[in-house]
Amino acid sequence: MKTTPGIYRLSLQSKIVLTFTSVIALAGFVWPFFYVGNLHWIFVVAIGASAFLLISEVGIGSIDAKSIALLGVMSAFITLLRPLGAGAAGLEPIWFALIIAARVFGPSWGFLLGVTSMTTSALLTGGVGPWLAYQVFAAGWIGLLAGALPQKFAEKLIRGAEEKLLLIVVGIFASFAFGILMDLQFWPWVLGSNTQLSYIPGGALSENLSRFITFHFASSMAWDIPRAILTSVLIVLTATPFLRALRRTYFKAAFLTPIEFKSAVAAKN
Amino acid sequence: MITFNSVSLIYPHSLHTVFEDLSFTIDEGEMVLVIGATGSGKSSLLRLINGLVPHHTGGILAGDISVDGISTSLTKPGGLAHLIGIVGQNPAHGFVTDTVEEELVFGMEALNFAPDVMRKRVEEILDLLSLVHLRSRSISTLSGGEQQRVAIGSALVMHPKVLVLDEPTSALDPIAAEEVLSILHRLVHDLGLTVVISEHKLERVIGFADRIIAISADGKTEIDIPEEILKKSPIAPPIVHLARALNLDSVGTSVREVRRMTTHLRDFTPLVSHPERDSGETVVAINKLNHVYGEKVALREISLEFKAGEITAVMGRNGAGKSTLFKSIVGFHKSTSGQIKVLGIEPTELHGRKRLSTIGYIPQEPSDLLIHPSVAKECAASDRDNGLEDGSTFAFLIRLTPTVNPEAHPRDLSEGQRLSLVLALILCSAPDVLIMDEPTRGLDYQAKSLLVDTLVSYARNLGKCVLIATHDVELVAEVADRVVFLADGDVVADGPTLDVLLSSPAFAPQVAKVMSPAPWLTVKDALRGIAQATGKDSKE
Repeated sequence: MKTTPGIYRLSLQSKIVLTFTSVIALAGFVWPFFYVGNLHWIFVVAIGASAFLLISEVGIGSIDAKSIALLGVMSAFITLLRPLGAGAAGLEPIWFALIIAARVFGPSWGFLLGVTSMTTSALLTGGVGPWLAYQVFAAGWIGLLAGALPQKFAEKLIRGAEEKLLLIVVGIFASFAFGILMDLQFWPWVLGSNTQLSYIPGGALSENLSRFITFHFASSMAWDIPRAILTSVLIVLTATPFLRALRRTYFKAAFLTPIEFKSAVAAKN
Repeated sequence: MITFNSVSLIYPHSLHTVFEDLSFTIDEGEMVLVIGATGSGKSSLLRLINGLVPHHTGGILAGDISVDGISTSLTKPGGLAHLIGIVGQNPAHGFVTDTVEEELVFGMEALNFAPDVMRKRVEEILDLLSLVHLRSRSISTLSGGEQQRVAIGSALVMHPKVLVLDEPTSALDPIAAEEVLSILHRLVHDLGLTVVISEHKLERVIGFADRIIAISADGKTEIDIPEEILKKSPIAPPIVHLARALNLDSVGTSVREVRRMTTHLRDFTPLVSHPERDSGETVVAINKLNHVYGEKVALREISLEFKAGEITAVMGRNGAGKSTLFKSIVGFHKSTSGQIKVLGIEPTELHGRKRLSTIGYIPQEPSDLLIHPSVAKECAASDRDNGLEDGSTFAFLIRLTPTVNPEAHPRDLSEGQRLSLVLALILCSAPDVLIMDEPTRGLDYQAKSLLVDTLVSYARNLGKCVLIATHDVELVAEVADRVVFLADGDVVADGPTLDVLLSSPAFAPQVAKVMSPAPWLTVKDALRGIAQATGKDSKE
């Protein structure tokens, strides 16, 4: 039966591109543990290129008018939220919105929202630089994760308090994961080579890992914890009305609604 | 140009047929007006033309619709974009760019036009719609009428053969509406454009329409010339009601026509009678009020008193200071200088329940007051806030609109039901002053008469003070006892409705224009007046 288009879903080809580029991006985050030498600038270029490839792939032809309209509105909303926190002390009021919206509109759309909102908000906060491609991937993955959470548990829809709890868990996880990922792309070059916490090119995995963890705790925990707290508080405060409004939008947008054309004669009989 | 052949439509999640067996043809260069109560399917009919229904909304469509020989069932809305331009009720909702010029270009960019063609067309449209002086202005700084003209321009720039407009003037003041409609009239006559338009305020458009499609509440649809439809349609402008009430042979669509038909009724000298009313105590007292925004003086030395049991209409151009005056009375801001007392108290000092029971304010967009997810919850919250018995707000609402579904989302209600809900929320605490900003925007005749009844009974029976800011002279003629006319921050006229409205030809309601010099504002006044006068004549 014919229907109106559904909410955006990644095509098989897009999924392959997403996996491929994500592997490159992940490698870009964790290479210091495995490789002797400096790949920093190679990955800055590779991840930038991957981000471009990904954005051009997922956009082409396969996204319908309503999904893109929703994407535009939510990206604009998140873009406006971002300067409010200015990123100071990790107070970034964007993650709750990304997580809640992705929860309603699904993983593929959630991934796109992470990518577009990170890109557009960077223009507003002046945060354009080599780190942007890393941030784009991290935000996209968080959107993907939040969208992929189960809607049902034991045949029962996860709604109300359980859903809020689930979102808070994701919010906390995302806050820490984002902090760790951003530190990973930062750590190998930021400290120079002679401090106790510096990256040792070609050093043992265990040595580098413990140095990184100490570095992360010393430098960024102060950012991750406020980020996790703010995200959780915002989820607690806004999840109920926000989810309701977005689900209403989802219903109003009439995704996958059957369309039928009959001839006038057939209709009369 | 547009052919509907036995069209029936059912929406998903609904058991009720919007149209059944609807057939008509609209020829090239015709201007067709679609009328019907809110929720009768006007917007569905307009969206069927370019295929948004059912391609975008889902649903079952039986029968065949074709535009310029293209069937909408086989072509998606995108494939008709070059053929049909569509303009919505609120132009601001449709804009995608910042400046006028960019907005005009946007549609052509999407359809992949060559740059030199785009440039030529933009110039053409700027001239056609007199937008040249606005070309590089930011859209958000334009007035409502100018914005609607830009929206029409950005539809026309694709050279469509059909232009579809869904209530293009209902959000506009009368002057801006006039501006938009005269442009449309010119387009139909100069370019042979086919125009399909829906509109509530018939008195504005009726003169321009070649034919009318009337959709009645039960889904029956008629298409005919205006004179025929208006003979029996319950939706009609005041002059048509007048013509019917006077049992004239035919109905006219313009003041001039009806005035010619009624020459014999104006032979006698009419009685001038001012309705006498005891004025109640003063509820709102304003003394030498000034309000300044930065450089701009919004209100200058205003001194006014509003009394209990009195309905006052505050009129004037956009930017004349109406909203500022109301905001001062409500206590939203401290005024620059001067004094306001509501029952002896400064409005900015009122808080909590005392405030709810003293001042009720309904803003221009009544939905701004609705924050709960269902009608029942809105009503329950209002009971709590006002300390009323459970269910009293809902009982009040049911009296206004008996069919409202308590489980519905407030934003899914029809305009009329939504206004009833807001009225119920505000009026259940019986505030001493009720203040409404532009209450009739987007209301159909039915909802308007509900509003009139509610306001009149609130002021007369409960003896409360009612203030409305409006451009709608017909509403003022129906309800107001007194009119205050503001211009540029000054009170330029203040007096009984009859005197103020009749002294200015631009603000006279249709009935008054027809019956002038007789001082009758509404159909009811005219009937009563004629009966009295002719009764007196025959006695002599």
